[in-house]
Amino acid sequence: MGAFEYRQAEEIRDTFARHGVRYLFLGKSGAILLGFPDTTQDADLFVQRSESNGLALVGALRELGFDLAEPRADEIISGKDFVQLKNGPFDLDLVFAPDGIEQFDDAWQRHVDVEGFPVCHIDDIINSKAATGRVKDRESLPRLRSFRDYWMRKNQPGNC
Amino acid sequence: MSHDINHNPDTDAGWSESGGPAEWWAEFEAAARRELPLRFRYAFIHTYKPVMDDADYRSFDTTADYRRWCEENLPDWLGYGRF
Repeated sequence: MGAFEYRQAEEIRDTFARHGVRYLFLGKSGAILLGFPDTTQDADLFVQRSESNGLALVGALRELGFDLAEPRADEIISGKDFVQLKNGPFDLDLVFAPDGIEQFDDAWQRHVDVEGFPVCHIDDIINSKAATGRVKDRESLPRLRSFRDYWMRKNQPGNC
Repeated sequence: MSHDINHNPDTDAGWSESGGPAEWWAEFEAAARRELPLRFRYAFIHTYKPVMDDADYRSFDTTADYRRWCEENLPDWLGYGRF
């Protein structure tokens, strides 16, 4: 398994769009899409939990090449909180109930479009990382908060 | 490179107006000048993570279950434990 590549992100974006999957890039992969310079290993997707979205998601993942036989597909459709996939062309974490974010629809209202990629707002990315209480997130939060200040200033109305 | 994670940007001298070391601001500016595909190439790496990478599929009923599994099964140095 190699590193996650831009073309694979494009495949997610385009395939999910065709299947009508409602999702957002979250975590450090989301921050990287917003411009945060750091390293990570895989992509985290915050997926809206509903049966119809789960069905669309399974169809899209199968088209991308993930091995999802019935028991696993059913788990995704029924909405486990967290699913880790390492059985496809790249690693993917599906997060249906991230720490620090109450509702998908709330995050969707705040989301940012980056060249067609739907990305959680930097505040939601920070809130979810802060809520995990994990050592690795604690270490990355100061720099992420600094990036938040930079990003907010750069994206103020009137700034280019 | 290490940074003081407990600093107060409102009171600490030597920090940029962005609320972090001035070098961070410079890194953000440099990243903003790169096209997205290049940012991806620099950002995504792959290294083997013991235990975590030893199964091709895992699912958890709750996020709390996932956090607990990480704490109980992954090596501490991966950083998935709680502080």
